[in-house]
Amino acid sequence: MRIRTFEYFVREALSSLRHNGLMSIASVSTVALSLLILGMFLIMVLNLNHMASALESQVQISVYLQDNLGDRDMREVGTRITKIPGVVQVTFVDKDEALTRFKQRLGEQQGLLAVLGDTNPLPNAFEVKVDKPESVKPVAQAVAQLKGVENARFGQEIIEQLFTLTRLIRLIGLALIIFLALAALFIIANTIRITVFARRKEIGIMKYVGATDAFIRWPFVIEGMILGSAGSLIAVFLLVEAYTVLTEQIYQKLVFLPLIPKYPFLNYISILLVVAGTIIGALGSTISLRRFMKV
Amino acid sequence: MIHMAGVSKIYASGLVALDDISIAIEKGDFVFLVGPSGAGKSTFVKLLFREELPTSGTIYVNGRDVAGLEPSEVPYLRRGLGIVFQDFRLLPNKTVYENVAFAMEVIEAPRREIQKRVNHVLDLVGLRHKARTYPAHLSGGEQQRVAIARAIVNNPAVVIADEPTGNLDPDTSWEIMKIFERINKNGTTMVMATHDKMVVDGMKKRVIAIEQGRIVRDQEGGQYGYEN
Repeated sequence: MRIRTFEYFVREALSSLRHNGLMSIASVSTVALSLLILGMFLIMVLNLNHMASALESQVQISVYLQDNLGDRDMREVGTRITKIPGVVQVTFVDKDEALTRFKQRLGEQQGLLAVLGDTNPLPNAFEVKVDKPESVKPVAQAVAQLKGVENARFGQEIIEQLFTLTRLIRLIGLALIIFLALAALFIIANTIRITVFARRKEIGIMKYVGATDAFIRWPFVIEGMILGSAGSLIAVFLLVEAYTVLTEQIYQKLVFLPLIPKYPFLNYISILLVVAGTIIGALGSTISLRRFMKV
Repeated sequence: MIHMAGVSKIYASGLVALDDISIAIEKGDFVFLVGPSGAGKSTFVKLLFREELPTSGTIYVNGRDVAGLEPSEVPYLRRGLGIVFQDFRLLPNKTVYENVAFAMEVIEAPRREIQKRVNHVLDLVGLRHKARTYPAHLSGGEQQRVAIARAIVNNPAVVIADEPTGNLDPDTSWEIMKIFERINKNGTTMVMATHDKMVVDGMKKRVIAIEQGRIVRDQEGGQYGYEN
């Protein structure tokens, strides 16, 4: 394709956008709205995924040992735990360290521990991490059988609920995203169909003077791509602003909620939305052109 | 230049528009297609630039097997033809110059070539001074001259005109015919379907008369032969 021809395509696309000013604005806003909602769900789903996996990875099994074990017995228990399938990490926490941690967690209230005097009521323990959330339960059961183990604890119900919830959210999010992408596609296809219809005379003349189908198609495809990418840029702008405000608010008030940091997360989302918008625009005009091209 | 052999066209409605037509039109010919309304003139013309496909028979235009072309080859057939319609078919939002240049832009001609050719053909139809005017500000005859300029700007071997004077008064029609004659003198083959008795009788060219889908007369220097 000659550069001059490409210039011609862009010029035609832009002049058609100007010509159907109101319609162009309407379709850019609908695309922006669809992609905004799509982006919002994407961000929400990804954040929930992020939180879920953050919580999932925090779930570990605390294995409390019987008080009368010697060093060798404890090491023995440790190696046996390591051999259980699904276990990825085993950390020994001796009773002194456990106490120090406990003090830290109490913070300003650690004076309460003064009543204990020099005694330490906490047991020696192992912290066991597993490869996936499904492994927690069987691993904990296996550990509890071992000799020298007092008991093995984990947040079973929380994990199982979290598990169903994230799966559900992923599913709903995916369905919504597909639905909204189709809606945006439909809207652009409609807009282009209107511009194609408005220019059917021109298309007819182009065919009579020997323009190829590809040549006739390009300006409309470019028009669709401009509509799609313009809409997506608006959506991206609004999303970035909203997410910035949201993360600031949440970091101030709900420190423990693990939101995905703005960068580079939003860059990826932005690129994705702009690419999606452009593809949707090109696809939309291709769809509406297919019927018109048969002259 | 144009060869038809055993061409029939039966529309889906069952209407027989053309019935076993065979004809040869040679390079540089000037041919009028005449006949009553609905006799098949329009179908004849449409077959030439593959607006319609024949039901049977073969058509060669410019050495191309028109009926056998792939859809993707149709644009290249049309680049060798100039087509003029009764209703001009100009683009209202383009100037005279742009309307003519459009025909060269869509076949990706170089810019300098476009300038040269458009000015040349606007001179030929006597509208160079109206290059920046929009079609709405032109008379019917002027609009048809722009359409002719557009049809010939790519130097077609054949100009096909379907009732080009149908919307014009006699004086203007005559001007248009003089332009066609000049184009024809430069070696371009002219095929023109018409109802215009004055034009046909005045020009004294080859006349092919079609009635009920058949050729009933093919005469050099012929007359229109019907009462309007």
